[in-house]
Amino acid sequence: MTLTDPVNSAKNDPAHAGGKIKLVDHVNAINWNKIQDDKDLEVWNRLVNNFWLPEKVPLSNDIQSWNTLTPDEQTLTMRVFTGLTLLDTIQGTVGAVSLIPDSLTPHEEAVYTNIAFMESVHAKSYSSIFSTLCSTKDIDDAFRWSVENENLQKKAAIVMEYYQGDSPLKRKVASTLLESFLFYSGFYLPMYWSSRAKLTNTADLIRLIIRDEAVHGYYIGYKFQKGLELVSQQERDDLKDYTFSLLYELYDNEVQYTQDLYDGVGLTEDVKKFLHYNANKALMNLGYEPMFPKTVTDVNPAILSALSPNADENHDFFSGSGSSYVIGKAVVTEDEDWDF
Amino acid sequence: MDAPRVASGMDYHSLNAMLNLYGPNGEIQFEKDREAAREYFLQHVNQNTVFFHSLKERLDYLVEKEYYEPEVLAQYDFAFIQRLNDLAYSKKFRFETFLGAFKYYTSYTLKTFDGKRYLERFEDRVVMTALGLAQGDEQLATDLVEEIIAGRFQPATPTFLNTGKAQRGELVSCFLLRIEDNMESIARGINSALQLSKRGGGVALLLSNIRESGAPIKQIENQSSGIIPVMKLLEDSFSYANQLGARQGAGAVYLSAHHPDIMRFLDTKRENADEKIRIKTLSLGVVVPDITFELAKNNEDMYLFSPYDVEKVYGKPFGDVPISENYRAMVDDPRIKKTKINAREFFQTLAEIQFESGYPYIVFEDTVNKANPIKGRINMSNLCSEILQVNTPTTYNEDLSYNQIGKDISCNLGSLNIALTMDSPDFGKTVETAIRGLTSVSNQSHIASVRSIEDGNDKSHAIGLGQMNLHGYLARERVFYGSEEGVDFTNIYFYTVLFHALRASNRIAIERGEVFDGFWDSKYASGEFFDKYTDAAWVPETAKVTQLFADAGVHIPTQQDWQELKASIQEHGIYNQNLQAVPPTGSISYINNSTASIHPIASKIEIRKEGKLGRVYYPAAFMTNDNLEYYQDAYEIGYEKVIDTYAAATQHVDQGLSLTLFFKDTATTRDINKAQIYAWKKGIKTIYYIRLRQMALEGTELDMCVSCTL
Repeated sequence: MTLTDPVNSAKNDPAHAGGKIKLVDHVNAINWNKIQDDKDLEVWNRLVNNFWLPEKVPLSNDIQSWNTLTPDEQTLTMRVFTGLTLLDTIQGTVGAVSLIPDSLTPHEEAVYTNIAFMESVHAKSYSSIFSTLCSTKDIDDAFRWSVENENLQKKAAIVMEYYQGDSPLKRKVASTLLESFLFYSGFYLPMYWSSRAKLTNTADLIRLIIRDEAVHGYYIGYKFQKGLELVSQQERDDLKDYTFSLLYELYDNEVQYTQDLYDGVGLTEDVKKFLHYNANKALMNLGYEPMFPKTVTDVNPAILSALSPNADENHDFFSGSGSSYVIGKAVVTEDEDWDF
Repeated sequence: MDAPRVASGMDYHSLNAMLNLYGPNGEIQFEKDREAAREYFLQHVNQNTVFFHSLKERLDYLVEKEYYEPEVLAQYDFAFIQRLNDLAYSKKFRFETFLGAFKYYTSYTLKTFDGKRYLERFEDRVVMTALGLAQGDEQLATDLVEEIIAGRFQPATPTFLNTGKAQRGELVSCFLLRIEDNMESIARGINSALQLSKRGGGVALLLSNIRESGAPIKQIENQSSGIIPVMKLLEDSFSYANQLGARQGAGAVYLSAHHPDIMRFLDTKRENADEKIRIKTLSLGVVVPDITFELAKNNEDMYLFSPYDVEKVYGKPFGDVPISENYRAMVDDPRIKKTKINAREFFQTLAEIQFESGYPYIVFEDTVNKANPIKGRINMSNLCSEILQVNTPTTYNEDLSYNQIGKDISCNLGSLNIALTMDSPDFGKTVETAIRGLTSVSNQSHIASVRSIEDGNDKSHAIGLGQMNLHGYLARERVFYGSEEGVDFTNIYFYTVLFHALRASNRIAIERGEVFDGFWDSKYASGEFFDKYTDAAWVPETAKVTQLFADAGVHIPTQQDWQELKASIQEHGIYNQNLQAVPPTGSISYINNSTASIHPIASKIEIRKEGKLGRVYYPAAFMTNDNLEYYQDAYEIGYEKVIDTYAAATQHVDQGLSLTLFFKDTATTRDINKAQIYAWKKGIKTIYYIRLRQMALEGTELDMCVSCTL
């Protein structure tokens, strides 16, 4: 892709739209030996342990499987991934960064920088999937689609608008809804494929992303709840109204986006249940009661079970690396350990 | 063959996934899995199975259309085949779990060439396997059908998948190849890896002999690029070759801990390794001698020795030189170039890499060689770290033809279901039938494209009888895995199996008038092997285990029994150079409704991912909502009990046992090091994967998910 490519031109980059992001104006050295909120350290450690790069997943093992998908299914899959790329780009270059100035503790700032970096890793991962499975022309077509799809663009616009607004807590709401809700219309598909024994290595990679997003959404939601403790009852009520109306707005749009994507393969209804389930999950992260009743959140168990963020999957050496290994804590052995 | 999308009702994948979600009263929904199995047959299998009016019509069709090998059937009267078929169907076999059925129909059964319709049921596959293995021996064919259909004996995947099919891969699973320190041997190794992967095997290669990076070539210094480029070539070769698309080739490489490239070797599995040196799919193993532990104990440096120099000084390849015996001499020898690292740092790095990648496997070289009854040296293992056999180098002429064909290793495997074998009407006969089945695979295998493998097999007839469902059996009998009673049972069970395995091999030697090449130089021939069985009595130490064997009617061999067996073996020999090896048993334990190998379960409801299956859920064997307390998983049980159990079995197994160690993510590299030290002290021969379980951060887990709860 060249610099004149309209799809990839920097001026169309969400990070550049609508002026500058506010930066922190004063910095003190972060002292990790003085922790105000234990959650910061816990989440930091978890994120560091979870560090990964797309190169570790043998995506090329999916090429055979990719070729068994129909052209429609391939197009759907690529569109889903370009949609996810856009969201991860927003979250990496704007979302997580915009949260930094609002941090309550210095350690929270550090956690957001980690989140921002991993979001960029995620965005790049989709490119690894593309370059492994598809031709350049197909990739360009899919990215063009993502620029032209109204509902996808609207979704991005709504979130971007709130990131640039002036309310720190509203930014956290938008961020949590993005992490815990908006991604999942896309995540559905690789989970669906893997439950049908297709693109299982790609699913491993997506599961690594889900593992991260689960922590991100949870943490930002937690920080939102911490922030709520500092404001008046009036503001709290306003924020709750705001959260639900934003969720409605996003939900309406998400349903249409889902139809654009999934009507062709007849999965829309199933994906909608999945949206309901995750909308409730996002609200739970923010400390609110669920919006959708149990009757419309009965997600296909095959998808739900596939989502489990635990690293407990069993696999053999013929089938890729799985999503289970983490970077360990090195501790030197002592003389007593070698007592034999 | 996709599952139908059912708009309202549940398809079988969804029913199966409900196993992983608790029911309304917090119970595990076992019945949903049985429903899934049933729906799988109704919605899918029955509708896609080709119907035949009679066995005759079926066999004629399959032979004519080149699905079955006519030679297999031609060894028998049709009347006998009909009787065998009726026998198999009379047993009313049913799959116990969805995964068992799904795995069988997805990966094993014979399908039409377009892959769309099924041509066999489970009974048909069992009969064809028995006919193929028995080679015209009606009694053996009948015995094999009895053992396999009852679930007591299960041949390994390549044998069960391929026997009797006209378009097929080999019946053997597993190959081990040496590579020597020259280009001819390296190139031959890659060629052999391709050939063997094409035929469906996992291949392990020994890299210890190859000179290190920076070593001289033709006496010019700093020329060799070491082992990493060889690993890259091998990795690419394995991903290129696959068995009729059935599965990717898979390979492992082993390296001595004292090879100068050892740290580079380990770094290929680092999470942040550069793409040029990163190894993704190749498995790694490290061969660790006792001296390395002693150096670490003393907190000394450990020296790494140039294989190029060692071969010049000792006149044999680096991998064949026992490091522990020669360590101090090699350190003092100025002709050998050496580098040093800190021994404890080496072990710590080992643990770090295991944390990040699960690799490398470890072979405790001196333990392995002390326990080896066969003359020669063991310097490597295989893809699952359970094969341990001696080998010798191959040399080549200038035109790349063979100068002297050495001995490389192949091994065919099959496992007993411990619970059902204990239930067997005749324990000894079950073991003997399994040994005869495996021996037949060895006799029928001819890998002409890799002569060192073919010659090795012809000379050794090595087989590997494995075991599975230990945890399932113990839980069924209400014994905790790794408890005193659990370890006691493991000891006596493996002791009893060994006796019958040796007796069977002795009988085969008598019948055929033939022993394996090298028998007369072995500790079997000298009688030394039997000392520990004739000098002391092996009896259960707990009342529970005494009772279990008494109730099952299984006779525990006495010293007198061993005296007689020893005499017969010293007179007539045994046919198989190696008899036992305990593999990890992935796929076959699902079909066989077993817990894998002699491991504890990894999870009450196991999440299984494989290329061909996607994500499927599997309940531990014999588990109900009433006996859950006996199904502690490996992470709860901890490494000591797992190692104690394996140590009890190891003393009766001539080859190795795939031993995976399980840690929670709160573990540190020090915990892994402690486990390695404990395993080594306890006489464990090899360590397979290190597996870590990271639980979801509190607040991010799925509600109601069985595999998420501790």
